[in-house]
Amino acid sequence: MLELDQLFKNIYLWGENLFTQWGIPLFWLELLGMLIVAVIILAFMSLSVLFLVWWERKVSGHMQSRFGPMRTGWHGWLQTIIDAIKLILKEDTTPGTADKIGFLIAPIIVFVSAFMAYICIPFGKGLIVKDLNIGILYILAITTFTVIGLLTAGWCSNNKFSVLGGFRSAAQIISYEVPLTLSILGVVILSQTLSMQSIVNSQKHIWEWYIFRQPIGFLIYLVAAIAEINRVPFDIPEAEQELVAGFNVEYSGIKFAMFFFAEFANLFLVSAIATTLFLGGWNGPLLPSWIWFFIKSFFLVFVIMWFKWTFPRLRVDQLMGFAWKFLLPLAFINLILTGLFA
Amino acid sequence: MNIVKRTIDGIYNLLKGMKVTIRYFFKPAITLQYPKERWTMPERSRGMVGLLSDPETGKLNCTACLICMRNCPVRAIQITQKKDEAGKRVPDEFVIEAGLCIYCGICEESCPFNAIKMIPKYEFSTYDKKQLTHKKERLADIGKGSKYNKWS
Repeated sequence: MLELDQLFKNIYLWGENLFTQWGIPLFWLELLGMLIVAVIILAFMSLSVLFLVWWERKVSGHMQSRFGPMRTGWHGWLQTIIDAIKLILKEDTTPGTADKIGFLIAPIIVFVSAFMAYICIPFGKGLIVKDLNIGILYILAITTFTVIGLLTAGWCSNNKFSVLGGFRSAAQIISYEVPLTLSILGVVILSQTLSMQSIVNSQKHIWEWYIFRQPIGFLIYLVAAIAEINRVPFDIPEAEQELVAGFNVEYSGIKFAMFFFAEFANLFLVSAIATTLFLGGWNGPLLPSWIWFFIKSFFLVFVIMWFKWTFPRLRVDQLMGFAWKFLLPLAFINLILTGLFA
Repeated sequence: MNIVKRTIDGIYNLLKGMKVTIRYFFKPAITLQYPKERWTMPERSRGMVGLLSDPETGKLNCTACLICMRNCPVRAIQITQKKDEAGKRVPDEFVIEAGLCIYCGICEESCPFNAIKMIPKYEFSTYDKKQLTHKKERLADIGKGSKYNKWS
């Protein structure tokens, strides 16, 4: 039906014909294709981030008996676009005592690590930029770079709130990386592959979805992923009441926008990974595969927002204790049981 | 086993909280979209001060007895008297400084001629402080259409 992979394949074949007619080496077509795909991914990320910011504000508003943005466009749908334009046009200031180079590259690291992980997300049947045979490992490895960016941002701002936020985020992300990886290992044991497309292919029917075979793994993944992207109830790196805004206190303008962008891109990313690993990815009846993928992903995004507007924030020691004393043993038990009975 | 029980308890309590928020998510919002929608103010709410006039003759009820002026705790009211053609005492100038008014309603209570009233109108912010000095014509305009119904 409305599968998009055939469309992309046809465009590629058309380009191949054109290039062979003109006598240009196909290497240039590959390069051009990569550029176009990168632009498409970036455009998709921007659109989803713009939508998610608006959606987050609407969800929070309605959960608190408010409306959220209402004035710009129908139910305020233009609000995030206007905010983005405002952030881009704003003056980009650097504090006088800040480390200039580190201050500049920190948002870029965070942004790029979010961007690169999108390469291995199967958006639909055959709709994946590069189906690496170590897909999920690659995603885990590349998203961990975020912590370097956050720590650099905190340290190079030369501000005590920033550096506290940076330390907290480093401690938190490194701690929660462990149960996150262990919960994913259960799925990897069951599907016996690391490639994202093969994992999706191994859960064709609803009873094969790994959420039913790995319910504890799914819960651990969800909790650890929320902690990974620094959202409530695990948002101590940017706890407004204690740390002003955490690692990004000194940032303004487009650099702040990049942090913000990466935060919401990561929000969609963890939902997409959870969909792929536990909810059967793009498998589903009737509708085209990519629509199923977006339905599941945005439902998970909604669940994470729902968490955010329900739960209070944890204390630092509670957060660390929860990761090391509860989630980690549980993840190990889950892994051992999976290994024994798989 | 204690930890298992505590875990299940915790998850149950978290789900209870989530039930509350999702219920509010589907409830209609209580926000009033102010410039688009407005409250209907209660009839006896104390808003702007206005002067009432006789609906038949269109003349002000005020006889410039100066009781409200003397009773006003913030001295927001300034009245000068004059005689009209029939020799009746009427206000020449009737000025209320709306910026000074504390909306206590004492002028309305003390008026023996049903001439001054707190009207349930409330939007009179301006860019110019001078426009907060309400003159006689403005006050009559504000009070237009209001009925006097003391203690009703």
